[in-house]
Amino acid sequence: MSNVQQTQAFYSLTLEAPSAITAVVTCNSIPGLKNQDQQIFEARGQRIYLHRIIENEDRTEVSLSTVCEQNVFGIIRGVTSFRIPGTATDQLVIASDSGRVAMVNYDAEKKQFKRVHLETFGKSGVRRTVPGQYLASDPRGRCCMLASAEKNKVVYIVNRNSEAEIVISSPHEANSWANLCFGICALDTGWEHPVFAALEVDYNDAENDPTGEMYSRREKLLVYYTVDLGLNHVVKSWSDTVDYSANMLFGVPGGQDGPSGVLVCCEDRIYYRHDKTAPLCIPIPRRKGSTEDPNRKRIIVAGCLHLSKARHEFFFLLQTEDGDVFKLTMEMSEEAKAQPERMVVKYYDTFPVAKQMLLIRKGYIYVAAENGNSKIYHVNDLADDPEVEPHNTFKSDDVSPDPTETYKPTYFTPRHLNFTSLAVDIPSLHPLMRTHVANPANEDAPQIYAIQGTGNRSVFKTIRHGLEIQEIVNTALGDFPCDNLWSLKHRSSDEYHSYLLISSVHGGKTIVLSIGDEVETIDDTSFLTKWPTVTAAQMGDDTLVQVHARGVHSILGSGAVNAWPSPANRTITAASANDRQLLLGLSSAELAFFFMGDDGVLNQLEDMPEMSGKITALSVGQTPKGQQQAKYAVVGCDDCTIRVLSIELDSPLEARSVQALSAVPTSIEVVEMVEPGSSGTVVSYVHIGLESGLYLRAIIDEVTGELGEVRTKFLGARPTRLFPVSISASQQQGILACSTKPWLGYNHPGSSIYTLTPLVAATMEAARPFNSEHLDGLCAIQGGNLLIFGIPKVDGRLSASEVALQYTPRAMTRNPWNSMWYVAQSDGNTLSQATKDDLRAKAGDAVPAEEFAELEKHIGLSRSTGHWASCIQAIDPVEAKAATSTIELADNEAALCCEVIPFASREWEVYLAVGTGQHMMPGVAPTAATEAPKGFVHIYKLTESGRQMELMHKTAFASPVYALHPFQGRLALGVGPELFVYDLGM
Amino acid sequence: MADKLRTQQQLEALQNKYIGTGHADTTKHEWTTNIARDSYASYQGHPPLLHYMSIGMGQGMERTRMKCMEGMVLPCGPAPATEE
Repeated sequence: MSNVQQTQAFYSLTLEAPSAITAVVTCNSIPGLKNQDQQIFEARGQRIYLHRIIENEDRTEVSLSTVCEQNVFGIIRGVTSFRIPGTATDQLVIASDSGRVAMVNYDAEKKQFKRVHLETFGKSGVRRTVPGQYLASDPRGRCCMLASAEKNKVVYIVNRNSEAEIVISSPHEANSWANLCFGICALDTGWEHPVFAALEVDYNDAENDPTGEMYSRREKLLVYYTVDLGLNHVVKSWSDTVDYSANMLFGVPGGQDGPSGVLVCCEDRIYYRHDKTAPLCIPIPRRKGSTEDPNRKRIIVAGCLHLSKARHEFFFLLQTEDGDVFKLTMEMSEEAKAQPERMVVKYYDTFPVAKQMLLIRKGYIYVAAENGNSKIYHVNDLADDPEVEPHNTFKSDDVSPDPTETYKPTYFTPRHLNFTSLAVDIPSLHPLMRTHVANPANEDAPQIYAIQGTGNRSVFKTIRHGLEIQEIVNTALGDFPCDNLWSLKHRSSDEYHSYLLISSVHGGKTIVLSIGDEVETIDDTSFLTKWPTVTAAQMGDDTLVQVHARGVHSILGSGAVNAWPSPANRTITAASANDRQLLLGLSSAELAFFFMGDDGVLNQLEDMPEMSGKITALSVGQTPKGQQQAKYAVVGCDDCTIRVLSIELDSPLEARSVQALSAVPTSIEVVEMVEPGSSGTVVSYVHIGLESGLYLRAIIDEVTGELGEVRTKFLGARPTRLFPVSISASQQQGILACSTKPWLGYNHPGSSIYTLTPLVAATMEAARPFNSEHLDGLCAIQGGNLLIFGIPKVDGRLSASEVALQYTPRAMTRNPWNSMWYVAQSDGNTLSQATKDDLRAKAGDAVPAEEFAELEKHIGLSRSTGHWASCIQAIDPVEAKAATSTIELADNEAALCCEVIPFASREWEVYLAVGTGQHMMPGVAPTAATEAPKGFVHIYKLTESGRQMELMHKTAFASPVYALHPFQGRLALGVGPELFVYDLGM
Repeated sequence: MADKLRTQQQLEALQNKYIGTGHADTTKHEWTTNIARDSYASYQGHPPLLHYMSIGMGQGMERTRMKCMEGMVLPCGPAPATEE
């Protein structure tokens, strides 16, 4: 027992917080913002977020930025927001598994959520009789209701007292035994007593009747609960039967704005119900098309209300489970204003199926997608014009509001976006089916390969640790490696860079490029091109300084050229300049210091102090804003030390402090950056790159020049070189550290912690800021190439590249010999490609196949109960970045699992084994009438180094095959309760 | 005897307040029905679980939620007739 480890500890680190949205609501929580500028309060897994939509003036650039996020360490099930009369911001309410109602506010000063109330009403945990499953709040902000799946409902009345504090009442219960709640919503009653509506089913009679007669006669009720604010209690005030398939309620505006009441969304129909008015009913339009089942009924899964309080107008946007969004308006009768006469439904657009859909007053629709990326659409048109698409407009005139009556279904043709355009695509990772960590491309760090998504929005993702770069230009400079570059302005007052100097020690020259509309080489230039450059800078008002090994070459604004030759037998090994100061390190370990006067001429300091060893790197700090000179320079020598020297004119080159290092410094940069977590305090940081690939960062004490708070990180096997850059995505200074791969150091915009993240790019020799009229980005040397690029985002730390898949991925496996992956994909209740082709041919569909496929990408796959669409794809994420081979399955077969198996009997050649199921009915209990599902195992031969798959054999099994595994040169598989080991025959 | 009566009353109050509190004569049907309703409520209350099941069944989460709710009405059929 001696070798048993007693204290085994595991540590888990969440790389990416969940992206699947549980609940989301619009709110006005940030004080001081316009009413139009609504924020989004969102719950994803355990976390709550407050987002804002940021747009530029002409709305060409829209982004969603996270104002605040917080882990609540609990399961969030619902959120809502309401404005308590007399308060400045919206109250946010969270329903969770804690058995308590949590009311929070956003504290704009501390930039965090602040708890206002936390009231206990039940046991903790997700339980069937503890409220928390449903949450609704009164539109006038007077109370909120929490309900459980069975029996319990609790109402809290909230108020504001004279001290402007929020007061919450004791819980008012409205419980009824043996009662199931299918959904709740708040009615808009104006300023009359608040009313909540609930969809309820009483199971007591059904359960106690052994004949099953009462079960078949069960009813679904729409129940009104009135909160009597005077008597301080909740009463059941009205109930009536509704269509049994009802699943969702929406409150219709009341008071001055509308008739009040509720929309009851049922399968295939939407009803308007209220205790004071006559009911209305309208069918949910079904999709028209050769591949659509005309009898399939949809339900509403999400919706939102738009209410213009100024004009007393409102409409609903309701989304079906296919993703089609309909605009529902109500027309009032002429004589009685509060009597709705007609409902009108108009097909609006098709979006991804939403968990919740929000209409934001600025003119956006936020679709919190159930699967895959959430999206923000810009509303171009509210479809108010009845002349536009009259064939997609339907009225409730001849439809009986009695659920038992028959009605004529209506049909519309789904199309591409018409009234909206996509503004923001929010990256997400849900639903994540499988992940695999591998490094087939032999990169620095392994990648995460993942299959994600559902239906035809599924993707195969390659996830890397690092920030994505957007490559704009990548050109070869010549057949020699370059090693450094500088981007220079012509004058200090210029906005853009004018020159790009590229130095090559190997080629023994400097290339000068001009930056304008294009970047081109200039042959006729005052810069020296016959030697490599040590450093170049724009100094003073309009002087350009180029330092080479033999001296300093400065070009004055007038065009005159000054040259300072280096002292005899000595060369310049390192140099650094800011606006006014220039420091040179000579091969004799001496330092030469220059200060530039107002005339643009460099004046040398006579004193040339000697350092302790050969100078390998040095840096003068940037000139602080509004000042002439920086305070300190840092010099690194080959005896593994760095020294801080004062470079102010009254105490030039006086040593302040010394720091020993573990290796020779190769690069030093003194950069002023905002101190993380402070409100804009600027601190001088010295960044040090070592020959060993280490990167160090320390703070220079402003007064004494001492170094403190040293942080170290290993970046890669190559010596680290540093380049100060400005990051346009977050409008701040940062540092680019080049080792085996480039790393970006910056203050994270969300957490404001100094973060060092690699860039997803090949090794860079050097990088500099690059500002031109068209681009605010960076330029870099990659071997013999010039790369101009941008960093679009710095808020994440993972970046992903995608390969689109056809259907919901179920399993993936890797070819052990190369970078090919095989993905088994299948979609239930979906028509297969063969069936669709058949149906289209039969119906004589004139739409070309490509156009049909493109529309299908937008509106989703054609669905039909009991059908399966499935395929197996070979994916090359490294070279082709696409699927190289696709095999569609037919005969209602669905691929469930796949594995690459080496067979001993075939000299360990690898084959792809795919386990399938046929005629499967998920979620449906098998009856005598239905065919029992069968299973198959397909064996594919892999050819063209794994790029192509060739069916060799198909073996039938009695039930679907869910698990395959290689086992000692054979194939082990599970069929129902049995385990088999198979070998390849023939 | 008064003690016994009070215990009985307390138990009844408890059973009324907390559905599923068992008693000496809990039938198999009552027990299984109760477990099934608890499970269906739990599926809906844990959003990731509901999401997982929806993907498996190839339908939207709202439809799966409705199936769970509907399942709660009579998960194990009507109670068997009691012998008088």
